[in-house]
Amino acid sequence: MLDRTQDEISRLVEPGRVHRRVYTDSDLFELEMERIFGRAWLFVGHASQVPKPGDYITTELGRQPVIMVRHHDGSVRVLLNRCTHRGAKVVNERCGHAPRLTCLYHGWTFDTDGTLVGVPVPEGCAADFRKEEFGLARAPRVGEYRGFVFASLAASGPSFEDHIGPMKGNIDDLVDRAPDGTLAFDAGMHRYVYNGNWKLQIENVLDSYHVPFGHASTVNKQGVQFARREGDQKGAKVVEGDQTRTASTWKDRRSYIVGNGHGWTSNTALDEGKRSSPAFDEYKRVLIEKVGAARAEQILTPRLHNSLIYPNMSIMGLNIHVRVIKPIAVDRTEVNIYPVRLVGAPAAMNFGNIRLLNVTHSAASFVQTDDLEAFARAQKGLRSHGTDWVDISRGLGAEEPDRERNATRGLATHEMVVRAQYKAWAGYMHEAL
Amino acid sequence: METLTRAPAPPMGGVRGVDRTPFEQFILHEARLLDDRRFRDWMGLFAEDGTYWVPAVPDQKSPFDQASLFYDDRDLMKTRVERLEHPRIHVQTPPSRTAHLVGNVVVEQADETKKEFLVSSTMIMVESREDTQRLFAGRQYHCLRRDGDSFRIVQKRVDLINCDSAFEAMAVPI
Repeated sequence: MLDRTQDEISRLVEPGRVHRRVYTDSDLFELEMERIFGRAWLFVGHASQVPKPGDYITTELGRQPVIMVRHHDGSVRVLLNRCTHRGAKVVNERCGHAPRLTCLYHGWTFDTDGTLVGVPVPEGCAADFRKEEFGLARAPRVGEYRGFVFASLAASGPSFEDHIGPMKGNIDDLVDRAPDGTLAFDAGMHRYVYNGNWKLQIENVLDSYHVPFGHASTVNKQGVQFARREGDQKGAKVVEGDQTRTASTWKDRRSYIVGNGHGWTSNTALDEGKRSSPAFDEYKRVLIEKVGAARAEQILTPRLHNSLIYPNMSIMGLNIHVRVIKPIAVDRTEVNIYPVRLVGAPAAMNFGNIRLLNVTHSAASFVQTDDLEAFARAQKGLRSHGTDWVDISRGLGAEEPDRERNATRGLATHEMVVRAQYKAWAGYMHEAL
Repeated sequence: METLTRAPAPPMGGVRGVDRTPFEQFILHEARLLDDRRFRDWMGLFAEDGTYWVPAVPDQKSPFDQASLFYDDRDLMKTRVERLEHPRIHVQTPPSRTAHLVGNVVVEQADETKKEFLVSSTMIMVESREDTQRLFAGRQYHCLRRDGDSFRIVQKRVDLINCDSAFEAMAVPI
């Protein structure tokens, strides 16, 4: 049984390895929900999902149901989706519009900032009942950057700026691709689940080591992956033609860490000069018209593959999307993938992005499905007591400073990013709330 | 559908004067090819401009501005089939076994000048893989174009009743 002491947590994470219990121990999972998901800055949603006052979405922060709603003063609020009376989930729909939020059970009604405004049969209330004490609980801290809404369920801790600041450039990289400089999350979402721990997903998004093996079925006889971007004639070279060695361009890719568990990997090498299609060419024309040729050239030059904003969100620069990780149990995780619409881009370009995201990241895609198989098999394998340790030592000691990016750099086939995640993990887990 | 639109309440018995038998035979054959994992032959049933669509929300209006579980044109379908034939497709090691049951076939619309027909049916697919059995069910719409004495699929749309659920990996077409 876990005694939750700092000493015990410390014994789970070593410089190049972590104890298998971090994936399999349900007591540790409960502690993660309290100490990580109960206080870290978590991605909630995007402001474009609630454009008008009264618009809302419902989601989960960790396992807790929340409502993200636009209040009538124009601000975006994050409320815990739990009636203050008898505990029922107040809003059941995944998205919608309501000027007031009314609980189905006894009809308690709340304003969109959580204030309790209506209690049926008020004469039955206790003599000292005060409505102002029964508003829906609010996420104590909410922060927003370029429409990306984050919340912390703890009243104190590192500021939004401290936590998100180092990753703002990664958000900019995506948002700046929209000719109008803003994104819309209005193209639905992909939802998948797997029988595995949530950390398997966040480790995987920055893992370039697995691709030649894990995604072998997406690679042709020349070692080249299928075309994944609008306008590309073919994908990246992943393995050499002899099919036995990882391609040199793949091995040269970099990964970066900037503290707080965040990190990213550099882009896959594609033939940018040959990227062309009616949709892409028109998009490029519109972008140049809006921001000028020089800036458009910068924006269209890929730099990032996946960026992880620890602990629950990643952004992909290749098949553009935002991914949200929702732990359900120690061995069960749901993931939501939002396609993003580049506002101001031609409809055909946005369709190109949506169409290819269907085949890379839907539950029925060519890429994500093999990862899901890997997560499920990792969870099964970790039941073994053959060894208690999971190795994450690739590139240990080979990290180097990257002054230009104010980051630490390694190779993308190394495991520096995973070690950085466990450093952040231990930091949260050591400290009682 | 791009060519023929679904009617909310098709006429009882389908379009008057159109025998549903050849359509039914075609759709049963299509389901059988999937169950037999003859994916390349399955792909061959589609017209060159054919598409395979499984929406991700009920009553999804379009595949162009919303995420879909599947929306394959022939090019993407070819990549999908090549992957299904690849020896190292981990999510099909071991492979899924499926059994389709198709019924309630109705010829909803007929456009004799374009030689196109919209045929709806109810489908159930049971999938077994590694001790787990899953059930998929819904209504499917085949837009079929007459081609000699058979048909080519202009669009196959499958409206799963749980299309907006979170799914574990779906490796084979439905």
